[in-house]
Amino acid sequence: MSKTPILVIKDLHVEVEGKEILKGVNLTVNAGEIHALMGRNGSGKSTLSYTLMGHPRYHVTKGEISYKGQDLLSMSTDERSRSGMYLAFQYPVAIPGVSVSNFLRATVKARRGKDVPVKEFRKELKECMAKLGVKDEFLSRYVNDGFSGGEKKRLEILQMALLKPDMALLDETDSGLDIDALRTVAEGINALSTKDNGMLLITHYQRMLDYVTPTFVHVMQSGQIVKSGGSELAHELEAQGYDWVTKEHASTATV
Amino acid sequence: MTDRTTVDTIARETVEGLTARLSEPSWLSESRMRAWEAYFQAPMPTDRDEGWRGTDVGAIDLSKLKTYTLSKTVQCEKPLLPNWFETALKHFPNRGGVLFQSTSSDCSFNLNAELASKGVIFCDIQTAIEKHTDKIRPYLEAAGNSVEEGKLSLLAKALFNCGLFLYVPRGVEIDVPLFYGINLDDVLAGGALMPRLLVVAEDNSKASLAYSVGSERGEASGPLSLLSQYAEVHVKPGARVTFLELQQYPDSVFMVNRSNCLVDRDGRYEALTLALGGRQTKSDIATALRAPGASSEILGIVLGDEGQKFSFNTIQDHAASDTKSDINFRVALKDSSASTYQGIVRVAKVAQRTDAYQSNKNLLLSAKAKADSIPKLEILADDVKCAHGATVGPVDREQIFYLMSRGLNETVAEELIVLGFFRQVLEKFNFPYAVNWLGEEVSRKILGANDSENVAAFFQDAE
Repeated sequence: MSKTPILVIKDLHVEVEGKEILKGVNLTVNAGEIHALMGRNGSGKSTLSYTLMGHPRYHVTKGEISYKGQDLLSMSTDERSRSGMYLAFQYPVAIPGVSVSNFLRATVKARRGKDVPVKEFRKELKECMAKLGVKDEFLSRYVNDGFSGGEKKRLEILQMALLKPDMALLDETDSGLDIDALRTVAEGINALSTKDNGMLLITHYQRMLDYVTPTFVHVMQSGQIVKSGGSELAHELEAQGYDWVTKEHASTATV
Repeated sequence: MTDRTTVDTIARETVEGLTARLSEPSWLSESRMRAWEAYFQAPMPTDRDEGWRGTDVGAIDLSKLKTYTLSKTVQCEKPLLPNWFETALKHFPNRGGVLFQSTSSDCSFNLNAELASKGVIFCDIQTAIEKHTDKIRPYLEAAGNSVEEGKLSLLAKALFNCGLFLYVPRGVEIDVPLFYGINLDDVLAGGALMPRLLVVAEDNSKASLAYSVGSERGEASGPLSLLSQYAEVHVKPGARVTFLELQQYPDSVFMVNRSNCLVDRDGRYEALTLALGGRQTKSDIATALRAPGASSEILGIVLGDEGQKFSFNTIQDHAASDTKSDINFRVALKDSSASTYQGIVRVAKVAQRTDAYQSNKNLLLSAKAKADSIPKLEILADDVKCAHGATVGPVDREQIFYLMSRGLNETVAEELIVLGFFRQVLEKFNFPYAVNWLGEEVSRKILGANDSENVAAFFQDAE
């Protein structure tokens, strides 16, 4: 059976405020695959996720990105979202005054291109909330306003469940979670991974990968993917640390 | 039913003519005359004066304004009301009373019989002067006429030609809101309307009043009209008054407003102004906390578009110890609209343990919009807690990006953020069902009248 590529990144170079952060990233995510992108802080992982979502601060200077056969770079952020690209933010911003329920209704309407009848929406929402252990009182709170780290991550996953992305980018979704929250969030991610969509989990610990088994693991360093492998690579990293990759990469680079 | 006269508002005879036509008692004409004298002495403001900066006050020609006297109201079961006022009332399932004045239809009022039997007075000001003289006279006679109130407010005191008197007797708590509306119609184009509102809440009483001068959309455009209003609120010991005003005028209206609120021991005054504009809105909101335990909360929401101009001054006087005030004004400006906010907090030497908070946030939604924020603190006491903050700037780009990353286009994202910005203030306001009503008015202006579904949706879960 041939694979269906969802996301194809070729030789991607990205600058932020005149400084090159990504220096030639290549990555292909096919339908049904979960990729883990690991690396130290500052290696360029978050830059990749922001670039894929089209943040105006990140400038692509070279390379191309194909998403479901389309040129992603010609699409605006909201177009990307409506066509199924989703970024679970590491630090989602607060939007005071906008209740979670109003916000969710607006996003679902945007993604589906039509209003969802209130009753139907409520039912769907309640089911998702129950699965993720999100309390009802969540809905009347302002988006991310005064939320704990764990609450923010749950809201990101709740949105993902409602928006049913074709390509999900999860930026450090595991950070700041206690073990129970981590398990719930991981279960949510597993439940949302289907044979038709792709996922990119960005993390610098492997503990998330105890619950979510990636198809591939990549290690990013200094703006490039320097090593790729199967899920066993995460365990090697855990055992040997990033220095091991660094040395290996350095030796390859000098050859 | 309406008395229409072209007057030279600068001539003394105008006041005499008015009191003669209305057959007013001499104590009233004397009181009007005192205000007129102060008015006469007060200089005509210019846009270089403090408090008038950025306004286009030069557009007013006082010698050419026609004035109208709205007729007295009659009690009726079901008053005939214009659409805009009906629509507003629909949000409130329970009401204590409705008072309505207009040039074009009969003026009427309706007061809940139970409240009337408890001695509550809720009627137009002319009726009050005739029928409740003993209650209203002391307040009209005692009203000071300081030049600080400004020429145009003094004019309203001298020549008021419609208005409201609300009197709540000692210990009477009204839990259902009262409504006062004035219709601005075509007849008023090029004229001057000067309402005077007087609210007296006796010891340990409670009342909520909503007030709006409005018009059917599209009506009353044309030559510049002046709406100059003067409101006075007396919150006696232990009383609690909530006052809500919706300012939404045709773009031919120049509005000047002065409100003086006096709060006694342990009294509480809460006010919210929703300003959706006219050509120019100039509002001075003065609150004096006169005895220990008095407190106030003054809220404002300003949403401007096109060339609308707004100028709000809050004047917060802490004249006694252990008083608390909270001022929160939020402004969002589209197109080339402009706003100036000036917030004065004065703390007298005796006013120890004052707790004063003032916040003014401005969102500029266009490169051509302009906002100024001028806080002024005059603190003479040494044991006080005073905090103030002001911000002016565009909508946070990270918020926009977050919403766009969820599929909302940039316009919808910004609208949602602005609605949230205002909602935070609306939700502080303790007036049942007001969030729904005001939220809908704000949404309609932000989203456009055609987006009726979303207009209704945003604030639905608020109460």
